[in-house]
Amino acid sequence: MSDDRAPTDRGMWRVVAARDFSVRLRDKGFVISTGITIAVLSIFILLRAYASGPDSFDLAVVGDRTLPDRAAVIGERAGIDVTVVVLPDDEAAEDAVRAGRVDAALIGDRRDVLEGTARLRVLRGAPSLLDQVVQAAAIAERIDDALADAGASDATIEALQDQHPIDTVPILPPDPDRDAKAAVALAAVLVLYGQLFGYGVWVATGVIEEKSSRVVEVLLSTIRARQLMAGKIAGIGTLGLLQLILIAIFAVTLATATGAIDIPADSLSAAVLTVGWFVLGFSFYAALFATAGALVSRMEELQNVIVPINLVVFASFFISIGAVSDPDSTIAKIASLLPISSALAMPVRMVLGSATTWEIVASLLIVVGSTALLIPLAGRVYAGAILRTGAKVKIRDAWRAAS
Amino acid sequence: MLRADVSVPYPEPMPPGLELIDLRRRFGDVVALDGVSFEVGEGSMVGFVGPNGAGKTTAMRIALGVLGADAGEVRWRGRPVDEVARRRFGYIPEERGLYPKMRVLDQLVYLARLHGVSRAAARTRGLEILEILGVADRSKDRVESLSLGNQQRVQLAAALVYEPDLLVLDEPFSGLDPVGTDVLIEVLDRERTSGGVPIVFSSHQLELVERVCDRVVMIVDGRIVAEGAIDELRASRARRLVRVEVTGAPADWYGSIPGVRLEAEVTGGVIVELAEDSDDQRVLDLARSVGEVRHFSRVRPTLSELFREVIAS
Repeated sequence: MSDDRAPTDRGMWRVVAARDFSVRLRDKGFVISTGITIAVLSIFILLRAYASGPDSFDLAVVGDRTLPDRAAVIGERAGIDVTVVVLPDDEAAEDAVRAGRVDAALIGDRRDVLEGTARLRVLRGAPSLLDQVVQAAAIAERIDDALADAGASDATIEALQDQHPIDTVPILPPDPDRDAKAAVALAAVLVLYGQLFGYGVWVATGVIEEKSSRVVEVLLSTIRARQLMAGKIAGIGTLGLLQLILIAIFAVTLATATGAIDIPADSLSAAVLTVGWFVLGFSFYAALFATAGALVSRMEELQNVIVPINLVVFASFFISIGAVSDPDSTIAKIASLLPISSALAMPVRMVLGSATTWEIVASLLIVVGSTALLIPLAGRVYAGAILRTGAKVKIRDAWRAAS
Repeated sequence: MLRADVSVPYPEPMPPGLELIDLRRRFGDVVALDGVSFEVGEGSMVGFVGPNGAGKTTAMRIALGVLGADAGEVRWRGRPVDEVARRRFGYIPEERGLYPKMRVLDQLVYLARLHGVSRAAARTRGLEILEILGVADRSKDRVESLSLGNQQRVQLAAALVYEPDLLVLDEPFSGLDPVGTDVLIEVLDRERTSGGVPIVFSSHQLELVERVCDRVVMIVDGRIVAEGAIDELRASRARRLVRVEVTGAPADWYGSIPGVRLEAEVTGGVIVELAEDSDDQRVLDLARSVGEVRHFSRVRPTLSELFREVIAS
């Protein structure tokens, strides 16, 4: 963006874009927003890694391994990893709990378990999953013992101890990645919302900055209003895109490294498409934000003009959050087609594999087509309003003022 | 009537620089420009004067293409102004405009690039012009940290950095101290004499306009009421104003001549205005007959006096 050639007449927007890009790149706001986004995303990913990462526990035992081994077997079937650690005596076992080297220590052998005198020593409270697994193993031991006492054969006992006596038969083909995909979709909506909204507001403030400092009159003596608007949207949008890509790389790397999300390949490709949706959604919103900014002369008035746009973005955000759990709902389907919300809703449905090919194509055509319609309209209002200082300009007046 | 009185034809054909032809512009019910035409010939320095709200800024904005006209045309070197020509115009708008948080030199380079200059050329020229304007040491400072006077110099630098073919300056002297004024005059003179750049600027400081401009355009209520070389405008009125100092005469010694009216009493004598058909030699004869004539001369009104006269009518 820093080539030295003299710009051509039609390429003036690039000069504008290069300035807006580099000025914002060095802006404190950029650093802060990058920091906040990465922090929020990191918390999201790390919470997930902590809450739903592979459940694994260390169980200390002294001497008799019968019950802990059984607990490990039961745990494995439920996706819970129980590692048995054999220690020399009760004291060492309790020390290990106190020092945090193990999650719990079983005090007592099989006899104690059957008689109900065994103890599971934990620091403050037993991790509930570990407790359940150990209790289940104890119940199983006691049932085995009772059956043996009643004269049942080993084969009978073994058959009765089948851990999965009822077959689970799914109606739809199972999607083992569903959970991971939902997490990717949620993260995508969070980040996209931040980018679309944050950079959209930046476009509006950039427009007001030029209007309130009156530099716009100097600019418009050499460049057309529409080129100025296009340059501003392109420059700020490029920075937003770059930040989004950086954030995406960071998030995917962190999520993979911590094992928070076992990123499925098709989610990854959907994430790449998400970046593409940012470009489309941003073009649409930024044209609105730029026009809104042109209507007022002072930064204090910004809120008044962007409220309607904010509401639309915010509503789209909430609908898209809802779509994460129910991507096939009617509202999610409609939202993924409308140009005002598709940039947020469609990536969710794509990541979750709910959007059909024709829906994606239709949504793309709608957003591209409506942006192509919107930009000249927005450009005209912008051109008609940008030199009018003082009171807020009415859209109708701005429309008439421009030719 | 008055227009016919004070307008003076061009002394010699001037190559056409900027021509404003019958510009008309309304804002709602307000007629801002009502058929404004004037020229800024190549190499000339034109003062654009008129009371507040007369239409100066509107006319300049239309010339720069910042504002559209309802009717009329702006021509440059004989052709309708297009984007390419306009890119070579330098402009200082009435309400100054720079990016407050941008550094001075960065700002100049950016604006020069928007006028089609390469980055390297813009840097070199930017530093040069800051040097000439005496603010080179502030080239790395943010504009908002500069004093208003220095911001004004940067504003001028922004209009000069791409070596424009024409300068249109709206109130360039307002807010400048005497030193700043002298620097600006010097720079404008250099642009005009060495670069042949025609310059038009609006101002309320008529003494200054009289001092530095060779032509003046006067606008009132959206119409041009006087236009021409300042010397000739003054001379055209000088015909009719005579200063007479005569000792030993009664106070209203001139009262007996028809068509002679007191304009002003001055130290040692009077300034009288002669009607169109009055003969100044008759006044002289009478003066000599009533006393001793110490002084007898035509009075060239100052531009301010011309201006007041035009406004008053």
